[in-house]
Amino acid sequence: MRRLALPLIAVVLVTAVLGVQIAAGGGHYVPLRPANPCEPRPVPPIAPQLEPLAEQIVLLGLDSAACRLGISRERLVLALAQTRTLDPHQSAALKAGLLDAVDRLERQGRLPKVSQLLPQALDQANLPGIVKTIIEAIPDSVIDNLLPTAPLLHQTVNELDINRLLHQLNDPSQLNSVLQSAILQAALRQILDRLRP
Amino acid sequence: MGTDRSDQPANPLTARTATVVVLSLGVAVVLGDAGVVTLALPEILRDFGAQVWGVAWVLIAFNLVLALVAVPAARVCVRGDPAVATASGVIGFAAATTVCAVAPSLGVLIAARAAQAVGGALVIVGSLELIVATVGVERAGVRRWAAAGVAGAALGPVVGGLLTSAFSWRAIFVVQIPIVLLALPAAIAQRGRVVPRQANVDMSPDRPHVLANLALALLSAALTAALFLLVLLLVDGWSRSPAVAALAVTAVPVAALAAGPVFRGVRAGTRSEAVAGSVLIAGGLTGLALLPGAELVWTLAPQVLIGLGLGLSVDSLTAAALRDRIPRALHGGWTIAARHAGVVVGLVILTPIFTADLRHAQTPAEEAIARLVLDAPLPASTKLDLAEQLGRRLSAERGRVPDLRPAFTALRVPTPQKPAAAALERGLEDQLKRAATRAFRTAFLVAAGLALLALAPALALRDRSRS
Repeated sequence: MRRLALPLIAVVLVTAVLGVQIAAGGGHYVPLRPANPCEPRPVPPIAPQLEPLAEQIVLLGLDSAACRLGISRERLVLALAQTRTLDPHQSAALKAGLLDAVDRLERQGRLPKVSQLLPQALDQANLPGIVKTIIEAIPDSVIDNLLPTAPLLHQTVNELDINRLLHQLNDPSQLNSVLQSAILQAALRQILDRLRP
Repeated sequence: MGTDRSDQPANPLTARTATVVVLSLGVAVVLGDAGVVTLALPEILRDFGAQVWGVAWVLIAFNLVLALVAVPAARVCVRGDPAVATASGVIGFAAATTVCAVAPSLGVLIAARAAQAVGGALVIVGSLELIVATVGVERAGVRRWAAAGVAGAALGPVVGGLLTSAFSWRAIFVVQIPIVLLALPAAIAQRGRVVPRQANVDMSPDRPHVLANLALALLSAALTAALFLLVLLLVDGWSRSPAVAALAVTAVPVAALAAGPVFRGVRAGTRSEAVAGSVLIAGGLTGLALLPGAELVWTLAPQVLIGLGLGLSVDSLTAAALRDRIPRALHGGWTIAARHAGVVVGLVILTPIFTADLRHAQTPAEEAIARLVLDAPLPASTKLDLAEQLGRRLSAERGRVPDLRPAFTALRVPTPQKPAAAALERGLEDQLKRAATRAFRTAFLVAAGLALLALAPALALRDRSRS
């Protein structure tokens, strides 16, 4: 009996320690795993400004693009950060993802009106003062009828040079100006399309 | 080897105690050297701009040479005067340690570590004879010699870590020199007092105790993991200072020293002690593989299990390997060879496992970091700034756990967003700790497997109760 005492005490001590550790989450203390990009994640409220809107479209777009490519959103972002260039397949997936994101926000009624985005865009746009004054004088309802947000963003995404955009990632301020200029150009084209007989 | 104390004057008790103490200190210093630089490895790596595998040779060289020369050194003691062998070993060890302390390059340091092991082997096996001769009772002498070795092996990393923190890694070697030199006069004073039994040496030395030595080798391999991997996890994985890591791993030696008083009363016998020790060490290592968090407190209970196992099994197996076997020094040499061969095997098996797992941990860590940054409640421009900084940190420290603090220090965050940035920084550090802890899991489990393998020879031991 005495010969068994020590091994038994050892087994009891080991069982107790491992039991406490497993009960406290031992074995599950691992890094956060990437979420499934094909499962839609909840969208937080979006402030009616360009940067938060662009960020939300990019985040949702990355999910959709990663789902199309069969990888995680995080792996896609890390690959983009490392290579800074996309093959045509990835570029198409990213554009399609961004368009999916615009559609999703549109369906959920989360897209702000263009009139809400305009003041900030005009502030930062490199336009003559007189032009800015004229645009500001246009009533919001006219602007919103002339430029519905979703088609404007669709056109922006379609005309976006994704590879050029990726090269701007080093400089966030430049990235903003590229995005704004893309949106303004898309807006101008939409207006011209509407005004054409 | 026999002991002839008839021609020596009756030593006063204090002189004998002092002799045993200084010789035990010498044994503890030499055996502590097996792991003393563990906590200093990151600093040595930085000083010499070396690679992890190269720096690991600072540990491997000592243990490998000690394993190889322990038995030949024991033969020298058996054929000659163990006092002379011990004194020569002390001088050689002190000289090599001096070179270690001033080593100008990693190559010189590794060579000096190998030379240290040659001198150290003579100190260890010679001291076994001298301690037994001084104590006068074989079993008590062997137990003191084994206990000195256990204390040295368990305390080595702790003392090394504290000295590295307080001064530098070179201080580890500077401090050893006077301590080991204390044994020199004691060894010289014993000259000619331990007479070899030539007949036994020349005719039929007992065969080594294969089972006890095999169990010692396997447990030493597992214990290497306990100390080497744990301090690396604390310092490199959890970014603790060497001083904090050193204090944290004191749980092992404290428990090892407590194991005797706690369990010796049971008088369960060598086999029971070896089996219980193997179970405790395997259980403790499994506990380290299943840590539920990166707080030091979670490492304490597994360390106590390992320490109790160390205290129970190593001196019990050493005593079993030496019991009734002559020449004693030769069998002491076999136990040292077995233990340090085990350490080398442990390092050779476990180092590639955890370095590969650390590399593989990079992808999940990067993905977790990317997820937290993408989902952080910060403006997109701040996130892009941060991503750029984090990318630089990750590239700069590829293959090692990166320090992300400089990325946040360089970040320009508007005041309202500072709490969110601070929360993100904490979150990212937590993810890195999770990834590092996960990366050490397989190595700890393999080490636990080595301890469980030791159960086979331990169970086959002939049981003899302790008196």
